[in-house]
Amino acid sequence: MKNNNINEKLSALYDGELDESEVNSVLDALSIDESLQKKLSHYALMSSALNINEGNIEPIKPKNTFNSKLWLSNGITAAASVLLTIAFINLDTINFSRLGPDNAATNRLNLAINSKEAKNIANLSEDNLVDHVLKVINNPEFMSSNNSDVDLRNVGFNTKGQVNRQYIKGEESFRLRIEKKNLGIKKIRYWQHGNKMIYLVPLADGRVLTLYGNLNSESAIEIAQVIDK
Amino acid sequence: MKKNNPEEDSLLIQRAQKGDTGAFNFLMTKYYPRVYASLFTFTKSKEDSEDLSQQTFIKVWKKINSFRGDSAFFTWVYRIAINLAKNHVVSSNYKKDKVNISADAIEMDFASHANPETDLMHSQSLNNVRSFINGLPESLRTAFTLRESDGLSYEEISLITDTPIGTVRSRIFRARESVLEFISQESANEK
Repeated sequence: MKNNNINEKLSALYDGELDESEVNSVLDALSIDESLQKKLSHYALMSSALNINEGNIEPIKPKNTFNSKLWLSNGITAAASVLLTIAFINLDTINFSRLGPDNAATNRLNLAINSKEAKNIANLSEDNLVDHVLKVINNPEFMSSNNSDVDLRNVGFNTKGQVNRQYIKGEESFRLRIEKKNLGIKKIRYWQHGNKMIYLVPLADGRVLTLYGNLNSESAIEIAQVIDK
Repeated sequence: MKKNNPEEDSLLIQRAQKGDTGAFNFLMTKYYPRVYASLFTFTKSKEDSEDLSQQTFIKVWKKINSFRGDSAFFTWVYRIAINLAKNHVVSSNYKKDKVNISADAIEMDFASHANPETDLMHSQSLNNVRSFINGLPESLRTAFTLRESDGLSYEEISLITDTPIGTVRSRIFRARESVLEFISQESANEK
């Protein structure tokens, strides 16, 4: 009965519905009762799993400022990028053990916190461009979901495939996509992803051309000029 | 779609803002799976998601005094997590082999991160759990789904179901216990 009582209080606190006067008893019990900690974890996992496909996560609105150095930077180390926003805090004050802390990673990242690279990255907030590039990289269907029918044979590119149309000329091959929104860019932006390039080219009519593949910058400009005509 | 209630965690947040690590641990445990799942959709990497989840909560702890309750706590935490993820992905020359992972794989990987007992949370088992919830007594099912799926407060559920708040609390708890017991049995049957 006593167990049920504390478990029910845990459930209520999980929902943010426990009276303030009862919170202490649950937190105290949690600090010493592993089964209660486990139950809390299971409540959380259950909630997350039951809502995982429900679209319950709010989208992030883009910010506006820009750091061109970062956009073009491929040489920034992963270490500098990961914990760059974290200052030195006393980790002993928090119980992170249940998360399985990686001390080596933590140390490595702590060293990176004050690096120049880290500060540069911290200034990055061109989220709309970042979002776009992430979609290009992470979602294979993104580049074919807006399959613009563009004839580039006059600059030597033939097409292959209908659904995932690929443009090919010699060793160069790429996919393209045209956005109706301008993404806020006025110059050609590019980013290297592995051995592929992503070019974002603002067109004269305000749209933005995305090219993704093995393609040099001269070809990218040439293609943009053809589309712009 | 579950709504995020800005008031839901206010008590624990206030305590955490005063340095109560127990309250903070509660919040961290509560939101870790959702943060992890969100990060996994960005990174497609279990390791990166775990690292970034930890970093997210370290940052949350550090910045918790700046949380003013203008949005739901999870929304605030989510923004921190996704900004960390974006910085991480943009600057780490993302590996090609992390790119092509299906939604099913995401769900399964998320499911297994916490401990083996959560293996049931992969898609088929999740369907079983949902079926089980649908088979709960109507009073439990209604209270539980209004809370878990719609994010309603106990008071709102009380008004909708015309039952005292104490009964709502008890029904939601009993539903949770039933679901956890079902999951435990399913897990035992699979072994």
